[in-house]
Amino acid sequence: MNITENMSLMEKLTILSDAAKYDVACTSSGVDRKGNGRGMGNSVAPGICHTFSADGRCISLLKILFTNECIFRCAYCQNNCNNDVPRASFTPDEVCNLTMEFYRRNYIEGLFLSSGILISPNYTMELIYQTLYQLRVCHHFNGYIHVKAIPGADPVLIEKAGFLADRMSVNLELPTADGLKALAPNKSRKTILKPMRLIQNGIMENQNELMVYHKTPKFVPAGQSTQMIIGATPENDYQIIKVAEGLYQNFQLKRVFYSAFVNVNHNSNLPTLPGGPPLLREHRLYQADWLLRFYGFSAGELLSEDRPDFNIFLDPKCDWALRHLEAFPVEINRADYNTLLRVPGIGVKSANRIVKARRHSRLDFSDLKKIGVVLKRAAYFITCSGRMMYSIPQNEDYICSCLMQDKTQIPKEIRDSSYKQISFFDEDALSDFKLTTNDLCVG
Amino acid sequence: MHIFLCEDSIDGIFTGIYDAWASRYGHKNIKLCINDTITYELFSEYITVTPDSEKSKKVGRTIIARLGMEVYQDILQAVLAHDDKKKNEHPDKADCIYRTLLYGFSLADGHRILQALGNPYIARVFELSRSTGNEAHHLLGFLRFQELENGVLFSTIHPKNQVISVLAEHFTDRLPQEHFMIYDATHQIAAIHKAGSGYFLTDASNLNPDVITRLSPAEKEYQKLWCGFFDSIAIEARKNPKLQSQNIPKRFWKDTVELASGK
Repeated sequence: MNITENMSLMEKLTILSDAAKYDVACTSSGVDRKGNGRGMGNSVAPGICHTFSADGRCISLLKILFTNECIFRCAYCQNNCNNDVPRASFTPDEVCNLTMEFYRRNYIEGLFLSSGILISPNYTMELIYQTLYQLRVCHHFNGYIHVKAIPGADPVLIEKAGFLADRMSVNLELPTADGLKALAPNKSRKTILKPMRLIQNGIMENQNELMVYHKTPKFVPAGQSTQMIIGATPENDYQIIKVAEGLYQNFQLKRVFYSAFVNVNHNSNLPTLPGGPPLLREHRLYQADWLLRFYGFSAGELLSEDRPDFNIFLDPKCDWALRHLEAFPVEINRADYNTLLRVPGIGVKSANRIVKARRHSRLDFSDLKKIGVVLKRAAYFITCSGRMMYSIPQNEDYICSCLMQDKTQIPKEIRDSSYKQISFFDEDALSDFKLTTNDLCVG
Repeated sequence: MHIFLCEDSIDGIFTGIYDAWASRYGHKNIKLCINDTITYELFSEYITVTPDSEKSKKVGRTIIARLGMEVYQDILQAVLAHDDKKKNEHPDKADCIYRTLLYGFSLADGHRILQALGNPYIARVFELSRSTGNEAHHLLGFLRFQELENGVLFSTIHPKNQVISVLAEHFTDRLPQEHFMIYDATHQIAAIHKAGSGYFLTDASNLNPDVITRLSPAEKEYQKLWCGFFDSIAIEARKNPKLQSQNIPKRFWKDTVELASGK
């Protein structure tokens, strides 16, 4: 481990942003706060993306670690104390200065501050708290702050930081306790879930207080989030979305993020992924995550013990619809909102617009197109005034083959990315897949 | 057919709507058109509308009173949108707005008028309004300030639609203690904000290019830091230029520090 004295700010920023880049949560959403006329900053509920890096991901916050020195040795993490990487630490002043100057040039929406564990969890959390305090109180910064709660830190410190931050997160890292034990020996389910519960309770108490006293300072107003690494351990998709569902229900998380595993340490205990990070799998998990949060699906409807992984060729919603053809076609001019939501090609916005627009006039396929319905998916599952768009057999195989011709089923950016899909478009792979759908049909 | 030629501005279009309504030619015999984009037809009478702020205010007030503030905001956004005439499939922007208002005023409760997307004029107004709204939202993030020698934050943008008032409003709330100026090079307007007060819009066709190139000494330093951050935050194993330019379209690149040097 080499710690260089008198490093330039540029070197520090490069090292500590590079070290933070595998954290996927870069959203600045969830809180609406007007400027106060004196300090600097406000916050907009839907969040704002300021630019997109070469990997196409949104940059919204100045995402940095306070330090990449770490006493832990998590196998998947490049800041693992056994790793020979350049180490650096910011001072609270440097973080404040960078945040303020970047913010006023409109480079960023705020600060995302995480950290390696320097000396002890408490020591690190205290440093983070000091930084936030300076930023909010001395620099009058009123923009967005996302901060990590360090597992194992004193609850009092976490709570103090929570009153200065907009969002807090504790990373679950791996979906199961076994995975965590194998790869992150210094962390345990308990040390991760404890601060998560603490933040949840803090938010709930704070909401009750806010109902009584409007002036009460707000505690983590944008809610908490977490992330899981996908593909480092052998969990299947069903286990992962079950965990996510549990987190949404029991911990009231705002978001669960999924991060395709990149083997940065070339650790022999970890899978080597010759095809690059499992991006398509990550994509399917995000699609399913949306279905859980906004479309009223449950994890058990999408997958089961017998079918533990998502279909690589079809998105989870199409896949579900194909297995439930008895529920279709749905009449656009009559079906209720929740039924519309379950139709492939109809999203939250278009379902809303349909329900409102049909009060004024009957809707036809051309109207649906204007409303934003994706007809190349929806066409097989809907009727307008009793008519289908094309006359097609209500047959699973037939509809499945039609849907698979739609190239957006595997998103353009994944097809086009430098990462080569494991020859998904091979004739062999396709014929294998057809066999499995036939099997399903019989079953 | 009586065709009202309006200037492409809020006052221009609203005055056109006022005059068309007051003309009593019958709605079927009237068309509104933006004056710079028109191909003349035979057997039509052309009436050039002179923008009049009084008439325009009356139309604005009527929309707010009859259709509500939300619809008014959406209509305004549609007025400020760039009407892409290359796709000749749509009727003119001004005409769509006129017909949307006619339909709205004919209803007992017009507050939800823009939900009637089965009506082609309304669908077009909705689309135009969304285009302005989306671009404004993009620019809230993609706009970059540079600090000039005198401490003023200066920004140049090249938007398709006229989004400057949305941006100025946002940054006035966000940076109340900064002097800043946003220059819309497409429409030659600038928004100027003085620390501790509101902003105003002004014509910027004779902006002195000299002042805005003299940057403060610290500016270059922060630009370098930002570009360094921008490069190191990307994950090499996930590199994906197509996704990048899908998310931040190329037309925005030249006005951002970190991407200006890219293709």
